[in-house]
Order: sequence, then structure tokens, then C-alpha cells
Amino acid sequence: MKVETRGSGRALVYLHPAGGVRWTKVLERLALKRSLHIPTFPGFDGTEADAGVKTRQGLARLVGDYIENEIGAACDVMGCSFGGAVALWLAIDRPQCVDHLVLECPAGLQSIDPALRNNPHAFYKALFAHPEKISYESKPEEIEARNRAMLAHYGAADGKDSQLLENVSRLRATTLIVHGTEDRIIAAETMRLLKSRLARAFLVYVWDAAHNIEVDQPERMGALVESFLERSDAFVVPYA
Amino acid sequence: MKFCFFHLMPFTGVKEITPEWPTPNRMFDSARAHELYRDYVETMVYAERCGFDWVGCNEHHFSPYGLMANCNLIGGALVYPTKNIRIAMMGNLVPLNNPVRVAEEYAMLDCMSGGRLVAGLMRGIPHEYIAYNIPPDASWSRQREAIALILKAWTEPEPFGWEGEHFQFRQVSIWPRPLQKPHPPLVISASSLESARFAGEMRATMGMVLISDLGLAKECIQVYREAARASGWEPTPEHILIGMHTVIADSDDEAKAALREARKYFDGVLMGGMRTAGRLVLQKTRYYQDEANRGRMQNRLAKREAATLEEQIAGGMVLCGSPESVVQQIRRIHAELGNGIFNFTMKVGDLPDAAVRRGMELFRDRVLPHVRHL
Repeated sequence: MKVETRGSGRALVYLHPAGGVRWTKVLERLALKRSLHIPTFPGFDGTEADAGVKTRQGLARLVGDYIENEIGAACDVMGCSFGGAVALWLAIDRPQCVDHLVLECPAGLQSIDPALRNNPHAFYKALFAHPEKISYESKPEEIEARNRAMLAHYGAADGKDSQLLENVSRLRATTLIVHGTEDRIIAAETMRLLKSRLARAFLVYVWDAAHNIEVDQPERMGALVESFLERSDAFVVPYA
Repeated sequence: MKFCFFHLMPFTGVKEITPEWPTPNRMFDSARAHELYRDYVETMVYAERCGFDWVGCNEHHFSPYGLMANCNLIGGALVYPTKNIRIAMMGNLVPLNNPVRVAEEYAMLDCMSGGRLVAGLMRGIPHEYIAYNIPPDASWSRQREAIALILKAWTEPEPFGWEGEHFQFRQVSIWPRPLQKPHPPLVISASSLESARFAGEMRATMGMVLISDLGLAKECIQVYREAARASGWEPTPEHILIGMHTVIADSDDEAKAALREARKYFDGVLMGGMRTAGRLVLQKTRYYQDEANRGRMQNRLAKREAATLEEQIAGGMVLCGSPESVVQQIRRIHAELGNGIFNFTMKVGDLPDAAVRRGMELFRDRVLPHVRHL
């Protein structure tokens, strides 16, 4: 598994969404204070698929191996959408690998509306409340198409992983769930349900953000994640 | 047809007409205010016995125009002496306040009143922004965000955080939550096309005041209905509230004379400083977003001010006359606009409270029986 690293400090593993790895302003900000590790899941962004890994739970095993072998200690983990489902499995199956967990509109807990799932143009539109804020380069169409196809490879074409919701209550990491108020891909009800099943979780809505919160509201998202990772539970206490 | 008895709670007895803003409070008399609050609350409680369906009030700052810096305090005073009338807060100025506090206080009123709250979520008139040191340019974005946050605070079953442009809260979990589910009915002011569209999108009752002509009012209602349909719902007549000064007396002449006299105080004293501040805000900010909106509002106010009382009655800007005349006026406006609620401001300027009460009784005995079925 290809892994890009940047920055120095306490390790943070970022698990990418179905669009693959994109260096958003949020990640650039986090890399200023953290040692950021960004694996590319096999098959995404032009990499070779791994015939032996066909589920999001399987991807979590790969990430867990990476943390144990390369980082060597529990670290903070942040997963976005598809990567959020992988992060959930990682925290459930390998709790020793995960200290604090950030779930950015995590997928895997509900089916995606077929009207969006089967229409790439509509799906892309639903990603952003503010597409004019996209700061990264677009990828070649064949890469985008291949990334989309990998969802089926990992059994995620429908979006839902029926085993995941049944197992989330096993998760023990202190968790921040972030959801955009304009997100039409992942429903707020799903985030509420997830929070209600976790032992130590905070749910924060980001106003005027759709599914891709990092693009729509990078300053707020960056500050929120930074504050949570630095201050843990105490991030709820305002400070000057 | 439903009717709301609305009270501004004006401070009366000021002799000096001043265009200063804020209105200097050296003219304020606390002992007089003590009497006024008691009289006004008693009048509002009396509205239930006069057949009104809602009793309403709202928030204003820094002037004798209205004595309710926080109208929820008055709402609290109305809850227990009344039984069935809806308590209409129309409302809290959400861009100026802490939205979580608004959600909490409204939820208190809803629980205390047994689910009788009507929750007005207003943007406010321009000068209020000076009072609370909030940039008027941000009024729209603050209102939209504050309302979204209030709705979340009322409906979320789990503690949540909010990262917004104007408001940030890391944990919200209000106690109490409203009695009415999913939340109390909303009223949003809709006197401009933009605000009418917003009210439709928010599934709120649209509240229109300061009507300058029925044509523009119809246009706003049309925009409201279209926005509601685009948002997946169909407003009923009860979602359209039309508000106006209302004076009912035993004869047309008596009513007109009373309104003319009361309007001198309203226009001179109550509106004096507010007009100055309002002009500054309109000239120097983007409160109305663009020139077209600003122009429409200024034309509307100018048209209202230039109209004679007879023209105002004919134009549907006020209700004024004997009970029989007011019945005809109500029927005509209803036929034109299709509204299901009228919002009466019967304490106009310094109109004597005895005249207000007489008007309320005439409404109960000789107006309501002829228009209730509309």
C-alpha cells in the first residue's frame, strides 16, 4: 500500500474518501503540526488493486498493519466518507492502533440514494456546497472512473456495510463525528444513530457545508479537528 | 379566519419630538413604565376574552417605540392568566441574539403554555443592528444560520456541536425541548420578495406588515407560495398573516379621528429616532442586499407616509372605522390576498387604552361574528 507522509509531530493517519487522495487545505494545515500519513487504498488513484482485499474491513487490516509496523504506536486516525468506514473498522478491530478518531461524514452505515449513486454528475454536484472553493487539481477522468469502480471491488457500491453498524458499539476510542448541514449523501439521522451507539463521541455540524466539508469550510473544519486532537474531551471548553 | 391581538407596548407621554438616535432616555419615566407594563399585560390577557386566537408582541431596542427588549418576558407573563390563546412571539430578532438562548426561552414558553407558542424568528428592522452593534450587512446570513441552529437545538435528540460562520457551540443539548413536535409553528417576516421566498423555504407562516398596496402584497404571497411548493409543501390560508394598525370605534368618524390623533404620536415621537437610524442603515449598508430591494422598500415607506388616511384604508394599509366598515375592509383584503390570519395592532401610538379596549369589544361583538367563517 502506497503511503504519503508529510510534516512532523504526533502521527495522524488520514484515510481518504472514494475520490482518492486530495491535498485539501485542511490536510495542509494538519501537516503543519502533525506527522501526517496518507495511505492510498489499493486500486485507487492508479495503484494496483489487491485481489486479496475486497472489503472495507480488509482495508482496515492493511492500515492497522501499517500503524503497527511503521508507526509503532497508537495514533490518531481521521477518515473521510469511504475512508470513515475503514477508520471505523480499524478502531473496532484494532483498538490498540487508534487513540483519537475523527469521522468526517463517514460512509458505510446507510445505503446511498440510488438517484445519486447511479448518476456520477448528480453525485459530484452533491459533494459541494461551494465548488468554487476547490483548491486542488482535478484528476484525469480515467482515474476518477477507476476510483468509482473500486467501490464495487470493496463491496461498497451500495454504500452500506451491514456488519459495520452492528459492530460500532464495540468502538472505544474518543471520537469526533463531523457532518455538513447541507450533506445530501450521508443523512444526519445516520450520524445521530452512530453517535448514540458510541461510548465517547461528539457530533458537530458544520454550517453551510455539504459532503466535502474540507472543501466547503476548510478553516472551520481544520480548526475543529486541530482543537479536538490537541485537547481531547476538553475541546468543548472555549479558550481565548 | 384567525385574529392576533398584537401589542408593541409603546412608551406614551413623551412630549418632545426628537429625530435623535438612540432616543435619549432622560425622557423615560420608570414609574410610568411600571403602570404601562401592568396595563398592557392586562389588555393582552383580555384579548382572549375578546375572541382573539393569538396574542402577540415583539422585540425592540433603544426607543419609546416598544418597551420589550425581550418580549419573552411578556410571553411568560401571559402564559398563566390565559388558557387557550396562542402566545405569538413575533418575535425574537434572531440575528441579534444568541440562537441557543432563543431556542431555550421559546421552549420554556411552549412547555409552560402547554404548547401554545407561535415562534416568530425575525430579522428585525434596520436600526436594531446599531443598538446591538451587529453589522446590518450580515443580517441575512446571521438569520439563516441562527434559524437553522434553533431548529437543530429543538429537534436533535443527542448533544451536538455547531461550527458556523457566525455562531459556534461545541455542545448543545437544551432543557427543556418544546412541547409541540417537531417544533412550534414558525412565523417569519415576509414583507419583501426575498424574505417571502425565505419564509416559504422554511415552512413558516409568512408575516406581512407595512403593506403599501395590495399589488405588492400579492406579489410577495405568490413568491412565498412558489418557494413553498419548491420546498415540497403547500401553504394554507393560515400560513399567511397580514398585520396592520386597526382602530374600531362606534362610528367611522370617531375611528378616523382617533387614528389621526394617535398617528401623530406614532409618527412624531415613536418613529422619530428610528427613522433617522433606519435611514443611516439603508444608506450605508447592504441590509437590503441590492439597489432594487432597497428601492422597493424606500418606495413602499414613502408611499405609506404620503397616503391620506382614506387612501390608507382604501389601499388595505390600515383597518379603521365602525364595526360594519371594518367587516367590509377585512372581507376585501381577505378576498384579495387569501390570508387566514389578521394581526391587529390596536394600540396605535398614544391611542387611549380605553379606546383600545372599546375597539376590542366591538371586534368581539360586531366584527368577529361576521368574519370568523372566512
